[in-house]
Amino acid sequence: MKLTLQEVSIVHSARKLLDNVELSLETGQLLALVGPNGAGKTTLLRAALGLLTPTSGQVRLGDAVVAGLGPRERAARVAWLPQHTSGGEDLSALEVVAAARFRFDEPFGVSAREARTALARVGVAEVAERALSTLSGGERQRVALAGLLAQAAPVLLVDEPANHLDPAQQIEVYRLLGELWRAGKSLILVTHDINLLRHLGDAEQVRVAGMARGKLAFESSLTAPDLPEQLGQLFGVHMRALPLDGQRVLMPERPA
Amino acid sequence: MKRRIVFFTVASLVLAILSLWVGPSFSGETRDFVFLELRLPRLLVGALVGATLSLSGAAFQAIFNNALATPSTVGTTAGATLGALLALSLDVGGGVFGVSVLTASAFGGALMTTLLVSGLAASGKLSKNDVLLAGIAVTLAASALASGVQFASDARALVAAAQWSLGQLPQVGYRGVSLIAPFAGVTLIGLLALGRPLQNLALGEDLAKSQGVNVTRLRFLVLLVASLGVAACVAWCGPIAFVGLIVPHLVRLLVGPSLRTLLPLSFIGGAAFLVICDSIARIALPGRELPVGVITAALGAPALVFLVSRSRRE
Repeated sequence: MKLTLQEVSIVHSARKLLDNVELSLETGQLLALVGPNGAGKTTLLRAALGLLTPTSGQVRLGDAVVAGLGPRERAARVAWLPQHTSGGEDLSALEVVAAARFRFDEPFGVSAREARTALARVGVAEVAERALSTLSGGERQRVALAGLLAQAAPVLLVDEPANHLDPAQQIEVYRLLGELWRAGKSLILVTHDINLLRHLGDAEQVRVAGMARGKLAFESSLTAPDLPEQLGQLFGVHMRALPLDGQRVLMPERPA
Repeated sequence: MKRRIVFFTVASLVLAILSLWVGPSFSGETRDFVFLELRLPRLLVGALVGATLSLSGAAFQAIFNNALATPSTVGTTAGATLGALLALSLDVGGGVFGVSVLTASAFGGALMTTLLVSGLAASGKLSKNDVLLAGIAVTLAASALASGVQFASDARALVAAAQWSLGQLPQVGYRGVSLIAPFAGVTLIGLLALGRPLQNLALGEDLAKSQGVNVTRLRFLVLLVASLGVAACVAWCGPIAFVGLIVPHLVRLLVGPSLRTLLPLSFIGGAAFLVICDSIARIALPGRELPVGVITAALGAPALVFLVSRSRRE
């Protein structure tokens, strides 16, 4: 399913959170959205989800305008992994993942079965009965990923999925996201850490879009030669590119 | 966890049924009369009212994501009190629709305040805290009006109002059951049916929206469906304190926060709690009956403090 943002602007208290954003994500594409804090990355995801209504322009999912879709229809097309998943009730992993099946209007038994399948697919089948508060950060993030799977929407919007995780868990989360991508999902992935993207696999297929002050600053790909310079400008740093096993690692330094 | 749920359910039912035998014993025909015409209907009213208040409390705590929300948070009790005071101070006798003017007026007051608040929630422009604030504002306004009415009332009306405001299960055969049951039925069935979206909401409002829940409609439905039953209960029994606040918390401490178990067990637990409190009210003072509201608060509050302090230590 294709996700399109057409000249989307969102103005809140006289501030332009999104400024005429033009973006499209074809079926099966992956777009990494990078940019400094407050650039509007999360706002863009929330607009794509229909949680925020554009002041002007429109968001389309397939052939439908998001604002015109019912909540369940929307949930059937796009699913979200928010940046902060804490703050809710301390339910068991199984209940959390089963809740993501809400759009199917099915008996809880069916939801629970699908939830167990999803938990097994992300490698945490054994935590199903445990409360979220007793899980490690990495386990919790995998439970959230299982929720994305269980909702079974073709477009996934993922907001900083590896925040606060140790390196092993960061790589694991990106590897799992890469699997979802290869299984045919379309993804927008908000991140600060450009180097983690290579764990998705297929680096030349990874699109990278830079955002600053509510605008799309550039669109490129992970392997494009001018990406380091574009990122450097975006973040106001000097971005050094170091070769590593045929790939490249980007290292931010203070600007000269 | 499963064992706890089964234990809780069985214990609630057994204790509630045993309460039929609590009180002075009688023999022969008197016994049958006391049993079938006095205690059984009173048990049924107590169970209906307790279940409605407790389940509504659990649902309100979920939609407001606030542990202190109660069935009265949206002004239901204050509206009923205002209505009751008006009827008492104007000293209108007789009845309407087969109930006393006092009850009808309390029910009308309760519905007015809650419709006002749920109407605001239905607009979808208010956040959950705005709706909560609106409920508090409506409560304060209704209480202020009630104080005005009290100020203008005579001593007899004041005593009657004070008695009403303590809350008790009146002794009137099956009338109360047949009057409350339709309203409470809508509340109990409606709220249990909304358990699934409420569970999503408990995980976060925006996440629930993204998972397909119409949060504005859900809030409105819960407020409306719950308030109908609560209005009927408060109109008939007066404001019974603490049931709607404490029972859901007790249940949560025992079986956890999942709405899938919390809602049905609040239903069962609320019914049992009020029935048990009522039997204690029957025997606490020899020869006199305490208002059940006194017992619910006296029993419920320490129980909650005990359980909370125990769960903090674990």
